[in-house]
Amino acid sequence: MANLNTDSIKNRTYDAIVIGSGISGGWAAKELTGKGLKTLVLERGRDVKHVTDYPTTFKNPWEFEHRGQVPLEITKANPIISRCYAFREDAMHFFVKDQEHPYVQEKPFDWIRGYQVGGKSLLWARHTQRWSDFDFEGPARDGFAVDWPIRYKDIAPWYSYVEKFAGISGNKDGLPELPDGDFLPPLELNCVEKYFKEQVKSKYSDRHVIISRCAHLTEPQAIHHQQGRGKCQNRVLCQRGCPYGGYFSSNASTLPWAAKTGNLTMRPQAMVQSIIYDDQKGKATGVRIIDAITKEAIEFYAPVIFVNAAAINTNLILLNSTSSRFPNGLGNDSGVLGKYVAFHNYRARVSGSYDGFLDTTTDGRRPTSGYIPRFRNVFKQETDFLRGYAAGFSANRGQYQSRTGLGAELKENLLIPKLGNWNVGSHMMGETIPKETNTLSLDPTLKDEWGIPQLRFNIGYDDNDEKMVKDYLEQISDMFTKAGFKNITASDSKQAPGLDIHEMGGARMGKDPKTSILNGWNQMHACKNVFVTDGACMTSTATQNPSLTYMALTARAADYAVKELKKRNI
Amino acid sequence: MKRRTALKSLALVLGGTLSLPAWANAWNADTLSGNLNQLVSPDQQALLAEIVETIIPATNTPGAKDLGVHRFILTMLADCYEKSAQNRFVEGLTELDETVKAHYGKSFVTCSPAQRLEILKAREEAAKILPPEKEPFFPFLKNITIQGYLNSEYVMREVYKYELVPGRYNGCFPVTASAKK
Repeated sequence: MANLNTDSIKNRTYDAIVIGSGISGGWAAKELTGKGLKTLVLERGRDVKHVTDYPTTFKNPWEFEHRGQVPLEITKANPIISRCYAFREDAMHFFVKDQEHPYVQEKPFDWIRGYQVGGKSLLWARHTQRWSDFDFEGPARDGFAVDWPIRYKDIAPWYSYVEKFAGISGNKDGLPELPDGDFLPPLELNCVEKYFKEQVKSKYSDRHVIISRCAHLTEPQAIHHQQGRGKCQNRVLCQRGCPYGGYFSSNASTLPWAAKTGNLTMRPQAMVQSIIYDDQKGKATGVRIIDAITKEAIEFYAPVIFVNAAAINTNLILLNSTSSRFPNGLGNDSGVLGKYVAFHNYRARVSGSYDGFLDTTTDGRRPTSGYIPRFRNVFKQETDFLRGYAAGFSANRGQYQSRTGLGAELKENLLIPKLGNWNVGSHMMGETIPKETNTLSLDPTLKDEWGIPQLRFNIGYDDNDEKMVKDYLEQISDMFTKAGFKNITASDSKQAPGLDIHEMGGARMGKDPKTSILNGWNQMHACKNVFVTDGACMTSTATQNPSLTYMALTARAADYAVKELKKRNI
Repeated sequence: MKRRTALKSLALVLGGTLSLPAWANAWNADTLSGNLNQLVSPDQQALLAEIVETIIPATNTPGAKDLGVHRFILTMLADCYEKSAQNRFVEGLTELDETVKAHYGKSFVTCSPAQRLEILKAREEAAKILPPEKEPFFPFLKNITIQGYLNSEYVMREVYKYELVPGRYNGCFPVTASAKK
């Protein structure tokens, strides 16, 4: 019996455990297995195998019973997820339904989740801009949050490292506020976008329009072929999963790579209940899960643990990992765990039309858009709000049919497509200031189906956000006007936080253990063998789409962790 | 051509074999939702088929009836619309046929194609001057018929040349070349 028990524990012991298999968890798995560690990846959702588990990927639009629309019964039962732009008939199977995973909204928060192997890396919008020191130095310069413990020089080589493997397309624009990376050839701005770029350049010294850097293989290299990935085919059906591996996802890239080492064990349907802390050893010893199907509690053990459950669930796991040493959550000596949560402000849009370039249109499809890097308060403080916003920008030629008449006349009209004016549009991606009052906490009584406490969200906008929305609407409208665009419409959706799907913080990095959870290596100040490298680690949000930074931080932290393990420091 | 290149590239990625799994089989009009008859009777379904065919008739290309647009409409109504909208639609259908019977002494489906067109044209003219709440049926019917038609496999594939795998993006494409496609 005793032997059986010892064997059982041995069978559940690994060199490393990674919680989560999304964009950062996939990177942790790749790096740790690549360095020879037998690694267990715990994924709360079902398995999704590359290509074979993309059931809609080869479907034509007419093969969807409701032509893409989600049936009413589903949208009514799931109002939150139904607000997400990608929750459509072709990809709804990759999203969590509201009813199945409830949470408490002290303030409205649209929590968009993808519980499966690969997580939201299957669904992301694939924009990948580097941060600059104007972002890392932000909190210190402008006196909010705490100082980042790292600077651009610390992460720059790791950006290059992940860019080369993931495959990032982009143009070397030479902008100090948006450093160039190791790029595959860029996608193309269309005529009207190029025109706008020139107009902006001639009228503003500090504003730029570029093609967004994005995780698409425009010209796959040997390293991508080795992953079994091929060139992006411009389908722009990415949310269904890409059969070519044309965009980066854990499923297409890091997880199969990790599996090839022979060091990876994937454990889907594993809901992490908590991280086990041993008071005597003074470190974490493993992870307690609840099997999603059988509801059995199982413990797994390893000398190093990476937490990559996605920002919000990472907070939940840490808050729920209590011990006599850490009664308020793992590593939470400072009391800041679950606080200073921030996100990107996506409320505002400006649209318009342009009546030039009527002799041109676009042909084929493009999986990204134009991008306007932050131009407010970059080099110095110049407005009555802190920080600023980046913006998406794109133009496309509208196509329509006359719907006049009935019978043969109507049919004739419908069969002759007509080109309208060019439509132009922009959306805001605003930096929000992490505040102590923007919090995630555990509900004292409510639990989910697996007995895990439900999260309470208390996250909202502030006056700085309101001023920024106003400024974005004014500035972009102004830029559109100067470019000669017509029918300019500025709108504020007032949408709740969450739909940006860029939630960050709660277990922030910092120099001082009294005011932060993680050090400059994403390592817990107070529990050295636990690393948090997903969005929960973020000290501030900058304006860039954050996934590339999570990838770089993860690879960097994994490298450090393995070195520390070898030195027996953890 | 482009599609073939793309498929070849996929085959390369998958290790040279290109066999599509079962779920890749195409949807067709016969596999549509089984809910259809819960909304309307078989007679009403036949009536709707003739109505959509009158709105978009077969010419040298298939019309709405052949493309199954009536079935599409009933599927959408059953699955994507509120009960109130479903009721309005079925009432509208019934009311239309009753009006036809009163005027022509026969049902819509036994009217000649010319009579059917005349009936719907009159209906559209009337809808133009009535406030939407007085005539919710016809504008909805016409719009959803157009939606079903434009999104049918025939129109998307043959007329609008939908490409699942374009394999390219040209941001400054001459309109004349576009029209020739």
